[in-house]
Amino acid sequence: MDQVPEPTWVLLTYKIPREPTASRAYVWRKLKRLGALLMHDAVWVLPATPWTREQLQWLVVEIGELGGEAQLWESRLLLNGQADTLVNQFEARVNTAYQEILDDLEQDNADLVTLSRKYQQVRTQDYFQSELGQLVRARLMNARGGFAS
Amino acid sequence: MKWVTWEQVGVDRMACAWLITKYIDPQAEFLFVPAGYKPLPEGAEPFDIPGVRLSHHRGHCTFHAMLREYDLHDPVLERIARVVDEADTVQDVTLEPAATGLDLICRGIRQVSLNDLLALERGSLIYDALYAQFASETNQR
Repeated sequence: MDQVPEPTWVLLTYKIPREPTASRAYVWRKLKRLGALLMHDAVWVLPATPWTREQLQWLVVEIGELGGEAQLWESRLLLNGQADTLVNQFEARVNTAYQEILDDLEQDNADLVTLSRKYQQVRTQDYFQSELGQLVRARLMNARGGFAS
Repeated sequence: MKWVTWEQVGVDRMACAWLITKYIDPQAEFLFVPAGYKPLPEGAEPFDIPGVRLSHHRGHCTFHAMLREYDLHDPVLERIARVVDEADTVQDVTLEPAATGLDLICRGIRQVSLNDLLALERGSLIYDALYAQFASETNQR
């Protein structure tokens, strides 16, 4: 993952016919699964990595197939501090999800199968390597029980 | 015949090249162009490039499109298509735990290969292996 002081971002703008609603939901869900942020109800943002570029490039084609149109951009934030704010927004979101896993792990009889799967899902959206993710991983390893170490 | 795709091959293109050589065109010759490069070379069939016939469609990977376009009906190939779908695209439903590992292995193969052609050659062993294993599981049922 590009962990450089000046991150670049990929932006997606798109329009898709109102009907069928399943198409709209499909695209929305896909962006959510990628962990994209929707800015001002207009532009979807992700950190630029080879993987996010590729995924969004395919999504542009799919939106076309669904009768819509989409543009894919790559950009940098020019004003001081705005990139940090955006990075923080991405981190805050995965940290919320990681914290939910930690809370669930505190419960008696925590469902480790489900929680470890959830950890894997969150990790695919953890573009800035949150430290909380490391903690979740360590807790999951310890929670399996049975053997020491 | 000639086939062309973008450089830096990964899980889907390794699968496609394996399928092409094994099932479609044993004499296949592969060409590579930088991502986004235009025009594509004349007389070569493009694959896994946005907007071409053999490419992602309706949320499925290019390997999936190839099975359909070349009328290949084989439950083992269809299972491999599912794995590649899950490895290469964002899916809500995941049924094949091998997918994540396969994606990493294919990326790694490209990293340790001098060029894309060598990566495709090495990748074909992975898909031979996957095919053999899935086929034996299918036969056991």
